Amino acid sequence: MESRRKRRRSQLYKWGLYVLLLLACTVLQTIPGFLQFGQAKPVFLLPLALAVAVCEDEFSGALFGAVCGLMWDYTAGRTVGLLALTLMGLSFGLSVASQLYLKLTSTNFALLTAGSLWLVLSSDFLFYYAMPGYSNMLERYIAYVPLTIVMSALLSVLLYRAVSWASETFKIDNGVI
Amino acid sequence: MKDFFETWKFRILIAVAVFLAGLMAYAAANGRLTAAPQELLSVAAAPFQKVASLVGGGISSVWDKYTSIDETMAENESLKEENAELRRQMVDYDKMKAENEAFKNLAGIQEDNPEMSFVSAFVIGRDGLDAFGGFTLDKGTAQGVERGDTVIDDEGQLLGTVIEADLTSCRVLTILHPSFNAAGVVSRTRDNGILTGDASYAAQGQCIFTDLSRESMASVGDEVITTGLGGVYPPDLLVGRIVSIEPEASGTSVIAVIQPDADVLGVKQAFIITDY
Repeated sequence: MESRRKRRRSQLYKWGLYVLLLLACTVLQTIPGFLQFGQAKPVFLLPLALAVAVCEDEFSGALFGAVCGLMWDYTAGRTVGLLALTLMGLSFGLSVASQLYLKLTSTNFALLTAGSLWLVLSSDFLFYYAMPGYSNMLERYIAYVPLTIVMSALLSVLLYRAVSWASETFKIDNGVI
Repeated sequence: MKDFFETWKFRILIAVAVFLAGLMAYAAANGRLTAAPQELLSVAAAPFQKVASLVGGGISSVWDKYTSIDETMAENESLKEENAELRRQMVDYDKMKAENEAFKNLAGIQEDNPEMSFVSAFVIGRDGLDAFGGFTLDKGTAQGVERGDTVIDDEGQLLGTVIEADLTSCRVLTILHPSFNAAGVVSRTRDNGILTGDASYAAQGQCIFTDLSRESMASVGDEVITTGLGGVYPPDLLVGRIVSIEPEASGTSVIAVIQPDADVLGVKQAFIITDY
């Protein structure tokens, strides 16, 4: 069993790493032209939020999801709070589901990311492009959403591994076997 | 799990959700949220975005060179020919230069508008969610940038307008966005219209010029510039060239599809007109 001071320090390191990952993902997601194929470009913030949610508990996961969502709201110029609420709900739900029902592997995580991203991108498309009634938006949906989901899901495995590593490395040893 | 819903943690999550919903309602009612939380996010993210955009620019430049070597060689050949042609034109240019001295005051935006103040900025962020090419620049209110300022490229061609200015960065609404509206005029025929974006053309980097009279003599290749009417955008900024003219759905006017002179979807450096 570790001392309280050692536990606090390891928690600080772990969440410090998560925050660094958050900044790195924000930057990667917004670099002009980075990994861009046509209109599609991978999303990094959502997979990161989900990875932290499944590696931590539902409370921390949901809060971290809200922060990731706020960052995404800011960088994408969306109404502040919309993506934050969405990611918070998704992180909470996925964390609970992973604790109760799911066996988590990299493949499962990639599939979950793909499903979640499809929901988020489709709702964004609905609110920001379909409802205002812009013409030819189906073409935009086809050119942007599927490829973005595939690229993000593939890259999400790396994020999942990184978060799992941090979570395991700085795990609190409470003496329970 | 059932117990979780009775804990203080669950109550905190509900409180956070209510706070976010309130934030969203406030932001939706007041345009965007230009307040402390957003400024904090921008201050935290902008320096990292700035560095990453420099690194990213280098990487994509090397990758582009590698993937388009054949294209580059062909381009090189055509540039050589073009160079030879330009040398011949230089002789004519020297002659015309003397004549153009008289029109010196008309050349260049700065010379035409000495009262204009510019802030040079680099593009540090583009998010894939924006289908209309909106981007983030690395200058904000600390450098005198304000919402509504006009953004042009390094050749004085219109890119868009600042829709949100934080302390160290600002977001730009491009001329490809349907929410963008500016009074414009066809340079040759002096026909007036409204410059705006259209979802059908945004992916090709094109915008449209609406409310053009059916009797207009404007044709493909004509240059469109801003009029300055309304006082929102400075006059005589270059916008782009007409690539096609199509009838409007109502039939009362025609629409000109414009290929902007500026590379709206790929621009890396811009100038913000802070005063004119």
